[in-house]
Amino acid sequence: MAMIQAPGQERHLRSGSLVLPALFFVAVFLFAPLALILRYSFDRYDPLTLMQGVFTVENYVKAVTDPFYRNVLLTTGNISALSTLVVMLLAFPVAYYISRVESPRLRGWLMILTVLPLLLGNAVRSAAWMIVMGTNGVANSFLQAIGLIAEPIKILYTPTAVVIALVSVLLPFAVITLQSVMDSIPTSLEEASKSLGHSPLRTVVSVVLPLAMPGVAASAAICFALAMNAYATPVLIGGPTMQMMGPVVYGEIAKANNWPFGSTLAGILMAVTLILTILSTRLLSRRYF
Amino acid sequence: MPRFSPGRYAFSLLVALIFVFLLGPLLVIIWASFFADKILVFPPSGYTLNWFVRAWGMDEFADGFLLSLQVAAFATVISLALGVPAALAIERFSFPGRETIRQCLLSPMYVPAIVAGAAVYIYYIQVEILSGFQLASTFTGLVLAHSLIALPWTMRLVCASLVTANTTSEEAARSLGANAIQTFFLVTLPIIRPGIIASAMFSFIASFSDLEKSLFLIGPGKTTLPIAIVNYLEWSLDPTISAVATVQIFIIGAGLLISDRFVKLGKAF
Repeated sequence: MAMIQAPGQERHLRSGSLVLPALFFVAVFLFAPLALILRYSFDRYDPLTLMQGVFTVENYVKAVTDPFYRNVLLTTGNISALSTLVVMLLAFPVAYYISRVESPRLRGWLMILTVLPLLLGNAVRSAAWMIVMGTNGVANSFLQAIGLIAEPIKILYTPTAVVIALVSVLLPFAVITLQSVMDSIPTSLEEASKSLGHSPLRTVVSVVLPLAMPGVAASAAICFALAMNAYATPVLIGGPTMQMMGPVVYGEIAKANNWPFGSTLAGILMAVTLILTILSTRLLSRRYF
Repeated sequence: MPRFSPGRYAFSLLVALIFVFLLGPLLVIIWASFFADKILVFPPSGYTLNWFVRAWGMDEFADGFLLSLQVAAFATVISLALGVPAALAIERFSFPGRETIRQCLLSPMYVPAIVAGAAVYIYYIQVEILSGFQLASTFTGLVLAHSLIALPWTMRLVCASLVTANTTSEEAARSLGANAIQTFFLVTLPIIRPGIIASAMFSFIASFSDLEKSLFLIGPGKTTLPIAIVNYLEWSLDPTISAVATVQIFIIGAGLLISDRFVKLGKAF
């Protein structure tokens, strides 16, 4: 290490002065706001005062017992689970392909093509799916042109459309995590399996899949968390009847001004996300060779 | 295994189809931005560049674009100013709580944007009531919130390039009598420069394309580009929006290609 010779005290002081501004910034603009909404989530709503100062769990009870909000939770859970399942099925072959492709050039390009949609943001990607899935969109025009359907079918503003769009939003995340896990699986194991006469498919199913399983679980956890927090996809692709957690949190806090209840819903999202993130970090950091 | 077995061919085809699913809609929206028809129909009756002119002529998009650029630029500068020293301390010094601090500085990446946005919005208003200092729906408030979107990207990429950089030259500089600050600016900084450029690019892109966190923080007449796109889409779907989206796709694509020249993308995640 470069600066190991500095006396202990001085070193701590110096690293402190380098790290503290960033830490302070995160504490002030992330941790403090999160603590504030956590407190709000136990408060009672009053249209005239901001903070009542009471401490009650009634918001949490309402979130799970009120039929409307319970339905929002269930819809969010179902859509997220289904999207995650489809994403894993699609991401696995892509990640395996990228991880085992021989040409580094092709590999680099495939990574760029995977990351590009991820960085575009959800507004542009939702717009693209709206054009594809709309009544006069590409999908309907194409199906009509080849004579598969006579009249345009309704794709946009259905739960299926939300799942399709969410899958495409989540796919890059899943491919990236899985690809790094597969990079860490030595190819010698696959070669051994093949030399024993197993087909490539059987090798993948009986050698790669079990070894990649912690990675698959970790990446599924991340995808589920991301799906649950989605905003643009349910609003634009699902339409006004599609009630998922992200848009409902926004509505409660920014439109209805019900901060305590909005904070409760945000708190639920935060808690589930935190659990899933910790779970996936544990799974990914575990060494399994 | 034979190189051109049917199984291998089918596998490549499957992967290609999945990429079509991922990128196809983006190609369609780029294509649609050149359609001559007012209402989107496939195939179009002709092609035109007018939608780009029209989109730029609409205040919501032109102003949104400029605001997003400014916010992303400021947020990137702040995240570099905070993140580079912190990454240096974490990778080059040992001190108690180092791993916890690293996780804290990466944590903005793991907090759902919609939750973070809601929390910061309520916090800003509470701060304003207590101190009279307005942050909600101001440029400053937006930049501060976006700096947190950018910070974990800076941390990740700068840490990654510090880990891979050889410390020998730094040790040599120190043993030749350079002090810590000279060593940093004359030796470490040039070595990790590619990492810093890539982290600036990623920070910029992460801020520029953010939708969810900004939703709560924008004010009247101050709308970022992604929000302008969503607001427009809730009412209409026409080639104007395709033109706006196309511009965003090309800007971010260019940023991505530039940063890939400095740090291979595999290392960014």
